[in-house]
Amino acid sequence: MGVDVGGTFTDAALITGGRLITAKVPTTPADQSEGVIAAVTAVLSRAGLRPADVTRFAHGMTVGTNALLEGTGARTSLIATEGFGDVLELRRQDRAHLYRLDAHHSPPLVPHARTHEVTERCGPHGVITPLDPASLERAVAAVRADGSEAVAVGLLFAFAHPQHEAAVAAALREALPGVHVSASSEVLPEIREYERISTTVVDAYLTPVLRSYLGRLGERAAAAGLPSPAIMQSSGGVLPIADSAEHAAWTVLSGPAGGVIGAARLAAREDRRLALTFDMGGTSCDVALVTDGEPARTSRTVIAGHPLHLPVLDVATVSAGGGSIAWADSGGALRVGPQSAGARPGPAAYGLGGTEPTVTDADVVLGRLPLREPLGGAIRLDADAARAAVGGLARRLGLGVEECAEGILTVAVQEMVRALRLVSVERGEDAREATLIAFGGAGPLHACAVADELGVRTVLAPPAAGVLAALGLVMAGERRDYVQTVLAPVDAGAGLAGMLSPLREHAAHDLPGAPVQAAADCRYAGQSHALTIPWDPAAPEASLAQAFHDAHRERYGDADPGRAVEAVTLRLAAERPGADPELPGGAEGPGVAGPTVIPMEGATCWVGEGWTARVDGVGSIRMERG
Amino acid sequence: MSLDPITLQVMANALRAVAEEMGAALVRSAFSPNIKERRDCSTAIFDDAGRMVVQSASIPVHLGAMPEAVAAVRARGAAPGEVWLVNDPYRGGTHLPDLTMINAIALDGRTAAYAVTRAHHADVGGMAPGSMPAGSRELLQEGIVIPPVRIVRDGEPVEDVIALLLANTRTPAEREGDLRAQLAAHRLAERRLQEVAERHGPDRVRAAFTALFDYAERRTRAAIAAMPDGRYEAAEALEGDGVTEGNLWIRVAVTIAGDSMTVDFAGTDPTGPGNCNCPPAVTRSAVYFVLRCLTDPDIPASAGAFAPVTVLAPPGSLVDARAPAAVAGGNVETSSRIVDAVFSALGQAVPVPAQGQGTMNNLTIGGAGFTYYETIGGGQGASPDADGPSGVHVAMSNTLNTPVEALEVAYPLTVEAYRLRRGTGGPGAHRGGDGVERRVRVLVEADVSVIAERRARGPEGREGGGDGRPGRTTLNGRPLPAKWRGSLRPGDVIGIETPGGGGYGPPEEAIGEDGAHPAAPSENLSP
Repeated sequence: MGVDVGGTFTDAALITGGRLITAKVPTTPADQSEGVIAAVTAVLSRAGLRPADVTRFAHGMTVGTNALLEGTGARTSLIATEGFGDVLELRRQDRAHLYRLDAHHSPPLVPHARTHEVTERCGPHGVITPLDPASLERAVAAVRADGSEAVAVGLLFAFAHPQHEAAVAAALREALPGVHVSASSEVLPEIREYERISTTVVDAYLTPVLRSYLGRLGERAAAAGLPSPAIMQSSGGVLPIADSAEHAAWTVLSGPAGGVIGAARLAAREDRRLALTFDMGGTSCDVALVTDGEPARTSRTVIAGHPLHLPVLDVATVSAGGGSIAWADSGGALRVGPQSAGARPGPAAYGLGGTEPTVTDADVVLGRLPLREPLGGAIRLDADAARAAVGGLARRLGLGVEECAEGILTVAVQEMVRALRLVSVERGEDAREATLIAFGGAGPLHACAVADELGVRTVLAPPAAGVLAALGLVMAGERRDYVQTVLAPVDAGAGLAGMLSPLREHAAHDLPGAPVQAAADCRYAGQSHALTIPWDPAAPEASLAQAFHDAHRERYGDADPGRAVEAVTLRLAAERPGADPELPGGAEGPGVAGPTVIPMEGATCWVGEGWTARVDGVGSIRMERG
Repeated sequence: MSLDPITLQVMANALRAVAEEMGAALVRSAFSPNIKERRDCSTAIFDDAGRMVVQSASIPVHLGAMPEAVAAVRARGAAPGEVWLVNDPYRGGTHLPDLTMINAIALDGRTAAYAVTRAHHADVGGMAPGSMPAGSRELLQEGIVIPPVRIVRDGEPVEDVIALLLANTRTPAEREGDLRAQLAAHRLAERRLQEVAERHGPDRVRAAFTALFDYAERRTRAAIAAMPDGRYEAAEALEGDGVTEGNLWIRVAVTIAGDSMTVDFAGTDPTGPGNCNCPPAVTRSAVYFVLRCLTDPDIPASAGAFAPVTVLAPPGSLVDARAPAAVAGGNVETSSRIVDAVFSALGQAVPVPAQGQGTMNNLTIGGAGFTYYETIGGGQGASPDADGPSGVHVAMSNTLNTPVEALEVAYPLTVEAYRLRRGTGGPGAHRGGDGVERRVRVLVEADVSVIAERRARGPEGREGGGDGRPGRTTLNGRPLPAKWRGSLRPGDVIGIETPGGGGYGPPEEAIGEDGAHPAAPSENLSP
């Protein structure tokens, strides 16, 4: 059983004996665990099963993301190296907007007043100034006086020389047992102080919040007689609730991860080499690249303005959804978004007071949303209101109403296509070869238009909008990621394999017996950004160097085999495969030629002109062009 | 072929994507921290008439500076299959470290567009490592001068030109890596633009170039028309140019008439003996920057956005320098002061922010086998509705810092402190942003150049707001002039303290978050 919490609905999917049973309940924002248990109860009753029958229970949530977006994390302090306490405020010194000179970055999660410096300094070659015990004592007292629930420790060069951070963390833990401590050398031992310390501060800021949420959820699950839930991580793997509670920064992208994993597993079952996931909802659209069933990953992301450099699924988000508002700018161009009508007042067609034309209104004008079926079981669409809203914009632009509606969709699709292309091109893949896997409330409705613009010839729309994310939770494996910056030459004498040993030991301890996959971030000596190269530590170093030259040539069109290669950071992922349940399916029905509309549970599929759709036994739709 | 409002937007997106992907490819494959970490580079697409169609959002100082380079290369008859290289400030460049590459792209067998990359290379020779010497007196002291030459011919790199260039830099391996990164971006541009043409048709691509130009012009004219007509004057003084210590004056008169604007620098001092002179391309970039700040920043950075503006400058002046005047500091410092002057003039017509730090605090440290170049952020001026951000680049630059850890791994330097100079922003209803202190100890013998401004007078406040504190440069704690070059011994510490921004509105109108009048914090103000 998987339970996925979205902005509006909490979805549950249960797989038993080749049957797929789903349930949908409203999300309970104040305490998401309430809705989770309600969804569990609903799906079990539909299936006629008891809590004790559940063998595996996985959960994706947005507790961490919401706390970051809303600024409701824990009161947090920061301990920094003397002279460098402003690291969070200084960021990378670039301004928030090139030409809006009054724009500010998100304020730091720890204000200046709760940042305390200790006298110490490490450099590339080790300790320069020993840790001064008196300054440490002062810092501990200051954290106590702050009344903080969490403290981050971020000292220079701790990624290579963690001894000072370890001493600071130990002193804090001893003196302030109730306060959560995140040390940068534990959270992310990687070079570049701002990003490492930012990640560490996010971890400290969220951990008390996540710990209390997961505590409540664990209790509710136990009380209901359910197995202890596994929690979806940003990396696309799940972890037991206890491990998860100690590392909040790992769960920030728990929400979108389920859908991506679900789509990736689907692509793997279908034997698709290349797939693009396309998850479109009311306000935004998440896209990701999947190669040979494996979703693309990145170790650099920014959430609510705060860099987070942990391994995560590489999901690109654009502000284009069903509620995105269309408008005419002062130069006479038709624009869509980033303003959104949201759920309230929502598109004009919802009849809740919205008057601005949205993407959904354009769909209604073009007859792509059935008017008879109430949307999501509640909202009855008002075609006249949609037409009036789109008509107003059409007049301003000198277009016909249908023409304007087509235009709104074309422009909205452009934004999404740009994101899909970027996630492909950045990895040297040609989007035209991909299968588009469309889900989310508005995904199947716009998938053909997106595919046309991208040059994609196959679209898959899995059954029921929210279920894919919940299914992904069921199928996700247990996963942990480890990183360590080493800055070592890639040659036979450097002993890279030996440097990986501590990471292997951690993995063996945390996930005994799990298969591991190593990778190395490599660069030419003198370069400053690295490429992540999969790596077999048993093979000679020369093969890693060769793989790097090849990757560099593929990515940038150039390589220099004569040049020395350096490994910046070693990475190790341990992953136990997840469940591989038997999924219902059934024979595909006859082909239906577009243009036409196929209603789905919780969504609507639009089959574009020139496309043929086939629906299988559970309502999964496959569309082919030509 | 004219484009409907939908196709216009579709093509604008597609072309912007090409410029953005070029930039991503350049940054990702470059070698030097200056390009990779600090992203001191820009990319753009021009039409076959040499008009800028779209530029990636990157470095404002590159805004108006590319058309001259494209014109110079077009005049040489650039053909598809070639990539041209230029850095000569008097033939399309800005300052010598900015190496510009241009290639013609054919659609349908004839040239339809030019792709341009411009990247700041950390060393192109000259009298000091980093090629940004304080105190240079003629262009040749600042590095190798490259007129428009082919660096790729018939699709193959011209290795002789590359070898000549690499023989004239202190860091040939890094330069070669960066040059090849630029070339990779050009290959990508050609491929992607041809893909856009395959999808939409070459005629529609050509039509889109014109439509985008007209679109940006329409929107800019609408914005200028909303400003009150009139003539607005202002003046700003440079604090010497590295050779002369006296003030060098920039004078400007901005005339708004209907939907057009004329920016006239008549009365500006003549070309100075030092290196703070601006080729016209730099002067135009500074004017365009102010225009973009005061119009909707959402208007695409196409030549059309600048068509309603006429820039006039006396030939041979500080802002229209002629060969062989030295220019290293003009691009970075004089350009910042032109921005201040134009903002001050337009501030008499429309609300503008108080002055920001007005300098980039250029620091170059070079020694055996290494060159470190960095610009350092400071206080932004406060706006009518907001405090000025602290510790940021304020005008013509927006480059990232070099992380302390990356810097110390790469160079024999130790950063002693990197923090905000709290309380240096000017007081006001909205406070100016605070400046920054960065202190660097050299561990080996090294040559240092500092080119900075606002060491004597702080950035001005507006509408009753107070001035920001001036900056300071120190050697082992002793103050240095605004522009200085010298030799350091191991253990010497060079300190850069950057200016705070000006405040906006009377301080007594300041309202704190809790409704109280905030007291100005004064910690961390180093002696």
